[in-house]
Amino acid sequence: MIPEGLARIGRFAFAALAAASLAACGINSVPTAEEAAKARWADVQAAFQERANLVPNLAEVARSAAEQERETLTEVVEARSRATSIQINAEDLGDPAKMQQYAAAQSQLSQGLGRLLANFERYPELKSITNYQMLQSQLEGSENKIRIAIRDYNETVRDYNTRVRTFPEMIGAMIRGAEPLVPYQAVTPGAEVAPDLQGKL
Amino acid sequence: MLRGLLAFLLAGLACAAPVAAQTFPELSGRVTDDANIVPPDAEARLTQKLAALEEQSQRQLVVATVPDLQGYDIADYGYRLGREWGIGDDERNDGAILLVAPNERKVRIEVGYGLEPVLTDGMSWLIIDRDIVPRFRDGDMPGGIEAGVDAIVEQLLLPPDEAQRIAAQADEASQEDIPWGLVIFLLLVFFFFVLPIILAVARGGKSRRYGGRRSSPIVWMPGGFSGGSSSSSSWGGFSGGGGSFGGGGASGGW
Repeated sequence: MIPEGLARIGRFAFAALAAASLAACGINSVPTAEEAAKARWADVQAAFQERANLVPNLAEVARSAAEQERETLTEVVEARSRATSIQINAEDLGDPAKMQQYAAAQSQLSQGLGRLLANFERYPELKSITNYQMLQSQLEGSENKIRIAIRDYNETVRDYNTRVRTFPEMIGAMIRGAEPLVPYQAVTPGAEVAPDLQGKL
Repeated sequence: MLRGLLAFLLAGLACAAPVAAQTFPELSGRVTDDANIVPPDAEARLTQKLAALEEQSQRQLVVATVPDLQGYDIADYGYRLGREWGIGDDERNDGAILLVAPNERKVRIEVGYGLEPVLTDGMSWLIIDRDIVPRFRDGDMPGGIEAGVDAIVEQLLLPPDEAQRIAAQADEASQEDIPWGLVIFLLLVFFFFVLPIILAVARGGKSRRYGGRRSSPIVWMPGGFSGGSSSSSSWGGFSGGGGSFGGGGASGGW
């Protein structure tokens, strides 16, 4: 009687222990962290989309006020359509090449917008239009949201990658075949080349 | 060996200790006037308006003035402050902050995720540009803040019928907060542990010869259940509901 009872308790304890150790191994926490990162990525894309949506308004306001900037404006509109054509699914977040492509397209749009806004500084009549001022603040706001969304996303990716790569949660990650995700890195074209200061000093 | 282990643990602790992070003022009320630019009578008026707004729409608006931004951009400071204080409901994220840094001559309307479609960046900028900055430029800080709050409140107030619906929902939610996890767990415990024991005892009642094996049911209460969502305490003090911020709003300077 008693040995049988003991055996039962033993079996129960083993099951409980196995469950507990599995939990500690990240069988649940790793997918949870992955889902969190994917959700933050959705925020990043939404923030970029918000900025892209502002470009047509900007073009509308600027078209009449700044005729000479037509070329820069066209450039920005093209950069926008390139940037919005690249989207990254949650499944592709582990693909560095795709991520780089996305970041490159977005940073091209960033640069174009920056150049355009800098050029617009030369048009006092444009700067005095309330609509333009509001657009400028909206663009500023969207850049702000993008920055925060990227920061949040990178933070969740860091957390997830740490889980995937460190003991003991890496056991759960291996069981599930979880791959590390790629953090978002803003690409500045030419950042790897030292600036040429010749003739500028 | 032991010393090595100890050193290892200590090193772990050191790593876990948070990096000296940004410090934020204590949330002392709906008007947290750390820079001391709002006179008491204006503060009382503002507090009343802000409380009335929350009463009507469940949305939280807070006025914060800070003596310095600690070197941060006001947009960066603002969203961190909002997250730190947790202004707004933790599901609707419907909080907003009117942040004033008089020494840096910067002002910002920080808008929670859930209010971004209501109080848009453009709208926030218009309020700053038309209602707040002109008064700040004339040195009328309390006037600018009050005008700004009025304009934001107007934007955040709901049409009466919608306000009623939301208030009714909030009442319902607080009454019908049934922890389903706990209920299911207790049912499982009842059917698989308590009931079999009761049945066994009832059946074994006739044959008592096994003697004294009447085990009492084991009561095992789970420790991991917590009660629903946290809500702002309703007595006396004011606190945020856990809302989050993602950089919505607009900034201005004068």
